[in-house]
Amino acid sequence: MSNDIWVYAEHNAEGLTDLSLQCLAKGRQLAAELGGNVTALLVGSQVEPLAEAAAAHGADRVLTAADARLEHFGPDAYQRVVAAAAKTAPPRGFLFPASTQGTDLASGVAQALGTGCVLDCQNVTVAADRLVGRRLEYDRNVLTSYSGPVDTLVVTVKDGIAAPAEPVAGATVETTNVEVVLDDADLVTQVLQRDVAARTVNLKEASIIVAAGAGVGSKENFSLVEELARTLGGEVGATRAAVDAGWTTLDRQIGQTGETVRPDLYVACGISGAVQHRVGMMDSKRIVALNNDPNAPIFRFSHYCVVGDLLEVIPKLIALWQA
Amino acid sequence: MGLNCIVLVREVWDTRDLVGEIAASASELNTGRLTTRFEPEDLNALEMALQLKDELGGTVTAVAVGASRQVDVLRECLYRGVDQVARVVDTAVEAGDTSAKAAAVAAAVRKVGMPDLLLSGLDVVEGENSQLGVEVACRLGLPRANYVDRLEAVGNGSVTCVRAVEGGYETVRLPLPAALIVGVALLKEDPRAPRSAKARLKLQMKKAPIEQWDATALGLSVDPAASGLAAAGYEAVLQREIQPRMIEAGDEGALKQMVQELKA
Repeated sequence: MSNDIWVYAEHNAEGLTDLSLQCLAKGRQLAAELGGNVTALLVGSQVEPLAEAAAAHGADRVLTAADARLEHFGPDAYQRVVAAAAKTAPPRGFLFPASTQGTDLASGVAQALGTGCVLDCQNVTVAADRLVGRRLEYDRNVLTSYSGPVDTLVVTVKDGIAAPAEPVAGATVETTNVEVVLDDADLVTQVLQRDVAARTVNLKEASIIVAAGAGVGSKENFSLVEELARTLGGEVGATRAAVDAGWTTLDRQIGQTGETVRPDLYVACGISGAVQHRVGMMDSKRIVALNNDPNAPIFRFSHYCVVGDLLEVIPKLIALWQA
Repeated sequence: MGLNCIVLVREVWDTRDLVGEIAASASELNTGRLTTRFEPEDLNALEMALQLKDELGGTVTAVAVGASRQVDVLRECLYRGVDQVARVVDTAVEAGDTSAKAAAVAAAVRKVGMPDLLLSGLDVVEGENSQLGVEVACRLGLPRANYVDRLEAVGNGSVTCVRAVEGGYETVRLPLPAALIVGVALLKEDPRAPRSAKARLKLQMKKAPIEQWDATALGLSVDPAASGLAAAGYEAVLQREIQPRMIEAGDEGALKQMVQELKA
């Protein structure tokens, strides 16, 4: 068994994802403890240009699985390619970003490798020469450590596990193309359409966010939320429901499939507090919730809970802030 | 054309409003005072199946693993119009990890008969069996789509659905039979939101027998630690202490003070 760590380096139109860079940084720490190397695995249609970025952020070696049939993520094809690569030299640990793609793929790859997978790890540590995946459970009341007599521990890691490494300029790296073997049966999933927003805003860096949920009710009322954000000098965020209603763009979505943010101030307007949204904002330093339902779940984890009609409350807040 | 659906349903700990220490010690969880509920995303998956039946005909079968603790999720399925239910009850399976459970569920699905669509919820935050949908799909050799938000079309041997991805959506088409893992938060008024139990069915199905299968009935030899992973320790997590301050919208003084504190 090698002491190597593998990282599934996910990428989008902008390059390697931030969470993939965090995986590489965490991979470096673990490999240093184990005395092994970090391998980044890149899968897609044209991934060779990303090898340099993977090396600059901590990979000792890059494997590329490049094939036109891998242009879009398909669970069966990706799973087969990734598992086949890992079987040739099983690593000690295999880190995936806890994204929609990484989550789906990690479970499937672990199954194909006949090993276990720990999803959503807050941390991965080495204990007695074994990797331990640590995840929060029971509504973040318990930190559970998972380990076992497994050769390869597969994990997905959460945002915040490690700061991405400062890129090393001019890093050179050994890049190997892995053979891509796929049957028709692996290619039955067709991606017909992708509606993914180009990112026009970086919510992660905003110190104040004013976010709207379904309770805002209309596009017209949404402009009131925008006005509040302008007054506070913050960015506008939204729940998936508010995005689906067409009030704002997808790049402003906060939550499970959107951004995870930790601003100094988070103002939640008409947001009920469903877990899918909560996971993206609950670590904000101060949370103000405006809602007409005194029993809204968001009030349980907000510092200030203003009960009332948004159309009445927001103009008051704007006036008070400007006073 | 009628469509046959099997829905995997789970009874999970209700972790909303937890009070007190859950980690009793490094090796034990204090689950005694926890309540359980029907996994909300499984309810969404069930609704998807029931709407397909309403529209296209066919059958809906619900499968659960493990003895009922507090909420009998299969009876709740019967109350909502499911045709058939089956439960895997086997101490070795129940003590096993997700892989062991997935093997048992896959065997139960085969025993019911391969469906056109296998549906389950994704189970977003709780640890219990959140990889079940993917694992069962793998074991049955079904193509899968994860984070499914809604269906676009089902028929002519395929299913087209919209799934959530970072920053947007993706429309994918899979041939039947296929597995859909549903991951969506729904507002009460959403047309995809789960229906309630029907009073008529509650009367009718209150005592209906629920089929139970053990490993022998499923022709299964159980490996309780199939994945090789186990919980090795628990630590209580210090909770962030937030004392929510309630403010009525009409209370000008309180609003003013809040704004001053926020600006400070």
